[in-house]
Amino acid sequence: MSSTGEGVVTLIIGAAAILGASLVPPPPEGETWAGVLPMGAAICLTLTGALITWSSFRSRMVETGSSSITFMPDKSFPKILMLVILAVLYHQSVLRFGYELPTAITAPVVLWLFGVRNKFGLALSAILYPLIFHILFFKLLGVFPPFGTVFDLIDFLRG
Amino acid sequence: MDIFPALATVIVNPTMLGAIILAAVVGMIVGATPGLTAAAAIAMLLPITYFMDPLFALAFLYVIGKSGRYGGSIAAILFNTPGTAASAATQLDGFPLAKQGKAGKAMKVATISSVIGDFMGDAILIFCVGWIAIVAVKLGPPETFAIYFAAFVVIGSVIGKSILKGLASAFFGVLIAMVGLDPISGVERYTFGNFDLSNGVGLVPLMIGVFVLGEVLMQLEQKATALERVEQSQEKEANSLTWKEYRPCLPHVFRGGFIGACIGSLPGLGSAIAAFISYGEGKRRAKNSEQWGKGALEGLAAPESANNAVSGPSMAPLLILGIPGSTIGAILLGVFLIHGIQIGPTLFMTSKELVYQLFACGLLGIVAYGVIGYFGASQVARLIMHIPTKVLYPTIFITAFVAAYSAKGSMFDVLVMIFAGVLGYLMRKFDFNTAAFIIAFVLARGAEEAFRQSLLMSKSGLMIFAQRPVAAAFLLIGFGAMIFRVRSIMKERSVAARQ
Repeated sequence: MSSTGEGVVTLIIGAAAILGASLVPPPPEGETWAGVLPMGAAICLTLTGALITWSSFRSRMVETGSSSITFMPDKSFPKILMLVILAVLYHQSVLRFGYELPTAITAPVVLWLFGVRNKFGLALSAILYPLIFHILFFKLLGVFPPFGTVFDLIDFLRG
Repeated sequence: MDIFPALATVIVNPTMLGAIILAAVVGMIVGATPGLTAAAAIAMLLPITYFMDPLFALAFLYVIGKSGRYGGSIAAILFNTPGTAASAATQLDGFPLAKQGKAGKAMKVATISSVIGDFMGDAILIFCVGWIAIVAVKLGPPETFAIYFAAFVVIGSVIGKSILKGLASAFFGVLIAMVGLDPISGVERYTFGNFDLSNGVGLVPLMIGVFVLGEVLMQLEQKATALERVEQSQEKEANSLTWKEYRPCLPHVFRGGFIGACIGSLPGLGSAIAAFISYGEGKRRAKNSEQWGKGALEGLAAPESANNAVSGPSMAPLLILGIPGSTIGAILLGVFLIHGIQIGPTLFMTSKELVYQLFACGLLGIVAYGVIGYFGASQVARLIMHIPTKVLYPTIFITAFVAAYSAKGSMFDVLVMIFAGVLGYLMRKFDFNTAAFIIAFVLARGAEEAFRQSLLMSKSGLMIFAQRPVAAAFLLIGFGAMIFRVRSIMKERSVAARQ
């Protein structure tokens, strides 16, 4: 994404934030408005976005005489996208199946994404990651584990 | 002289001493591993400290931050890859020295200079902080808001390559902090009717997302390259350091320490700026300036001292005004809040013992990383070379999830962490400023409170900030810093265009 694109995105976020701040109800008599700082920050963000767009647009015009906006995703973009989708799926599956089962599936997939191809290592990670994190966080530190609404492995093992 | 009883209390506690040594080792490893930062490590370890005693938690994370700053020099000297932004200045002379077979000597100079600089910074902090707190107690809401405003502008405009992107990052941080119920009127802001959002966005998942998950995504993008270590000479002379060799470094070390301490006390500037200013100033005054950049011991000592001297004074605005000077400061602020300790000038009345014991832990942390670094930097480098990044980053990915969940036992926090991770990745990729974003997020609520209290006090609206001299001075400092930065960038550009 070019600087122009970054400026436009910043400007859009700022404009949306202005709209959001304008929805804050007016204050009762003698009090300050709860939307004063959000509105101030949103206006500043919009202006900053406009300035980024303008300065990038101007330098582009000076350098090339053209004002086209380009978006060139990197070669690694599919991998990044896969990891983000995996993160969301992991979150959703923990909600439904508890911590251990989704971690056992996610760990080898993430290792594979980072270039681990050893089948034994990947299989071992499916056991070690949930086991170590379960012991460390849910046993030793006493954090209450997330409970799966559809199926929970620990619940099942406990009968 | 509250520091001496505090030191005595900490020294007789073996568990605390063990934690300090462990934190020194962890910080050194994290700082020396390219791609990992002390801030990321502290953010990830933050939820674990929920279950610890407040002093233990704070000391552990504070020492990791200190040792992490020093650890960057190991990677800069031995791997020619700066572990932290500040150690890029160390690399200028550190790596040429290593190539000459003097890696051991270079590491010893870096360690001693770091230790002296860090001690100088901490000494200034310990002896000045109480006095500043006495003055800070007298500040009213308009002055407090003006200080927050100056911090916002300085943080937004000074850190990073682009002023506009830095400011945009800071404004965005403020907007994210505004999500949830207004603490004064209870009105919902930016919640979109979502119940989870009415509690606001948590600091811990946000930081884990931006610093940890964002970094994991960046590492996936960058092709992993194996670290190459410069072989150390086996000659004793090449690896040992004599007093005669180190003596010329001392003026640079003390000057660097002073520069670092001054810069550290200003919010947002950070150790990278201190290290480069100290290097530039040292080179300008050096008798052997032609040697700098080719392997001068003085060129290594000057930035290392300044880099570490930032650590102590950067705690002053955090403890006295609740203004974190760095990302590590922002995370430590979270630890204070988690343990129910109210930061501000009254901290020195309510939790004086805890604060001085924390300073004592910092001093012992310096000794710990100094000793470990002087005798074992080479072993730390060897260990880092054996860490497989293919396994390290997936492990960090899985840890980030459970760490974000552990903060409040909330799966919504995990979702916030994922969004923050994507945001952190995009911000890094497009040169926006993650540090400005997080620090602004942390400052926003306090700034809002001070601003609205000022308006309630005022009979002339916004003019109250102009009528109070201290408030007006800080507002002018904020605008002045921005104008100065714009002018310096324009000057750099015009020089570059002429060349």
